[in-house]
Amino acid sequence: MRAKLIYSHGVVEKPILASVVLRTGVPINILEARVNAQKGELIVSIPATGEKLREVLNLFREAGVQVQEFAETLRIDWGKCMACGACISPCPTKALRFREDWSLEFDEERCVACKICVTACPVKAITMP
Amino acid sequence: MTEKIEELRTIDEINEKIKRGDAVVLTAEEMIKLVESSGLEVAAKEVDIVTTGTFGAMCSSGVFLNFGHSDPPIKMARCWLNDVPVYKGLAAVDGYLGATAMSETRGFEYGGGHVIEDLVSGKEVVLRAESYGTDCYPRRHIETTITLEDLNQAILVNPRNCYQRYDAATNSSDRVLYTYMGTLLPNYGNITFSGAGQLNPLCKDPNYETIGLGTRIFLGGGIGYIIGEGTQHSPGAGFGTLMVKGDLKQMNSRYLRGATFHRYGTTLYVGIGIPIPIINMRVAKTAATRDEEITVNIRDYAVPTRPDLRPVVKKTTYAELRSGKVSLNDRDVPSSSLSSYKMAREIAETLKKWILEGTFFLTKPIEPLPRQREVKPLRVRGREIRVGDVMSRNVVTARPSEDIKTVASKLVEKGIDHLPVVDDEGRLIGIVTSWDLAKAIAHDKRRLEEIMTRRVITAFENESIDVVVHRMAQYNISGVPVVDRLNHVIGILTTDDISRKVVGGGRAV
Repeated sequence: MRAKLIYSHGVVEKPILASVVLRTGVPINILEARVNAQKGELIVSIPATGEKLREVLNLFREAGVQVQEFAETLRIDWGKCMACGACISPCPTKALRFREDWSLEFDEERCVACKICVTACPVKAITMP
Repeated sequence: MTEKIEELRTIDEINEKIKRGDAVVLTAEEMIKLVESSGLEVAAKEVDIVTTGTFGAMCSSGVFLNFGHSDPPIKMARCWLNDVPVYKGLAAVDGYLGATAMSETRGFEYGGGHVIEDLVSGKEVVLRAESYGTDCYPRRHIETTITLEDLNQAILVNPRNCYQRYDAATNSSDRVLYTYMGTLLPNYGNITFSGAGQLNPLCKDPNYETIGLGTRIFLGGGIGYIIGEGTQHSPGAGFGTLMVKGDLKQMNSRYLRGATFHRYGTTLYVGIGIPIPIINMRVAKTAATRDEEITVNIRDYAVPTRPDLRPVVKKTTYAELRSGKVSLNDRDVPSSSLSSYKMAREIAETLKKWILEGTFFLTKPIEPLPRQREVKPLRVRGREIRVGDVMSRNVVTARPSEDIKTVASKLVEKGIDHLPVVDDEGRLIGIVTSWDLAKAIAHDKRRLEEIMTRRVITAFENESIDVVVHRMAQYNISGVPVVDRLNHVIGILTTDDISRKVVGGGRAV
């Protein structure tokens, strides 16, 4: 599950993520980070489900971190996609690639939601909600 | 071409076979496989036609339109379709809509290419036109909606389509570039390329033995014709192009797609397929050309020069480009296409189907296309303004060891915002701005070298002002030191200098 963690001024300097990892044993992966003295935003992938996931999210919330869950990542409109490939080489994690038959394949698990493909697509077939 | 070439069949004979339903048609990919398995001789004897296809962004595309006369009638002087300007230097209700014309209300998002796609898919489009009123055409304004069906004619006429091959692109700079070759990541982060390579029509008959004026083709899902060489046709160098036309009303929006290259502009993806009749052994051989044999230059788009002067960082082939990675400077760089190989394949298959069904017959070219043509650059006559004409030569510099307070007073005294930092020989090693000094004071720093920016964006004296202005905008900076080839600071150019000394058209005052 992917989420955006928003650290406000008061909590930005505390090692919250590390404590959550230590307490729950869930190896949270940071996909993207923007942190400065005033606030911080982390996009993370949390490899957990059910009770464990709820525990992780609650720990963040209790520590004063705002949690926005990503219901989904990229949305590809397959009716619009012409399989040109313009999104493939800019993708930093190879989440977009060609299949054997040269149609486009999207591997959601690799996607870090960087959005470079959204602007790279010439026919606006890729959107990020 | 004086060598004796074995003739295999004529176009008339092939058309007879199409009529009888026994023509042997292969796509270019199938032809390659057949030659690999059975040899060229066998393939050449067996195969009558090889079909090709390409589906890529083709900016030099557009459509001639005739709207018909309204009552009272108007001599349309200016005209828009969905707010995209239509060229109106033609008769009263004739116009030309170009693929790269951009909407006056939506900009990059929507352009001529999108209008063409919308028309072909049957959508209503808003027609707006203005005039000055004449005795015979009194109306001054019109606004209505039209569909493709309403138009008397909608004729796709594309001055340059179907490039034989195209240079690939990469980016040596430290920022993302948004180009007509797509998104180019910094530090050679990726490579983009265009063209269908071994499926590409002009790669299959590079000697123009079968492709010429009057050749019937697949165009945008309908029937089209080659009406001559394309603009910038350069067959000798392997960059042939075609001018094509076809009736938009017969076309299919699957094969004509409006597109936007982020921060570049709008265009049209055009699907083209050309049948290659295997009339002789030489055509049989070229029709079996593989991606491995088609070379492509990879150019550095970070260098803002004329396209043919952008440095070539590597010579590669369509095979390596299509593999998804290209070895560049001992590193595997991801590569991907901008044109759709899947669609190119589909077009070659569709054309094959049409021929096998007996609905598509071949034409003999009325005239061959030129095999030699030179592409000339545009020479700019007269002297254009350069950095050296505008920069301040009285440049105040500082040494890295200088104390921040002294430096601050220098800026105040001279009334400047940029201070290049130089070594003992006057070579540039950093820069500070008044903003850096404000920050230094806030953070209680003492010496210049603690706060100066070491990666300095610079300009050369003989560079064009437009190029440097664009560089300053890219890096969001308001001044650049001007250096010589040995990195000595010889001047400084600021946005102030430019706004004071340069007026429109790059003239100095």
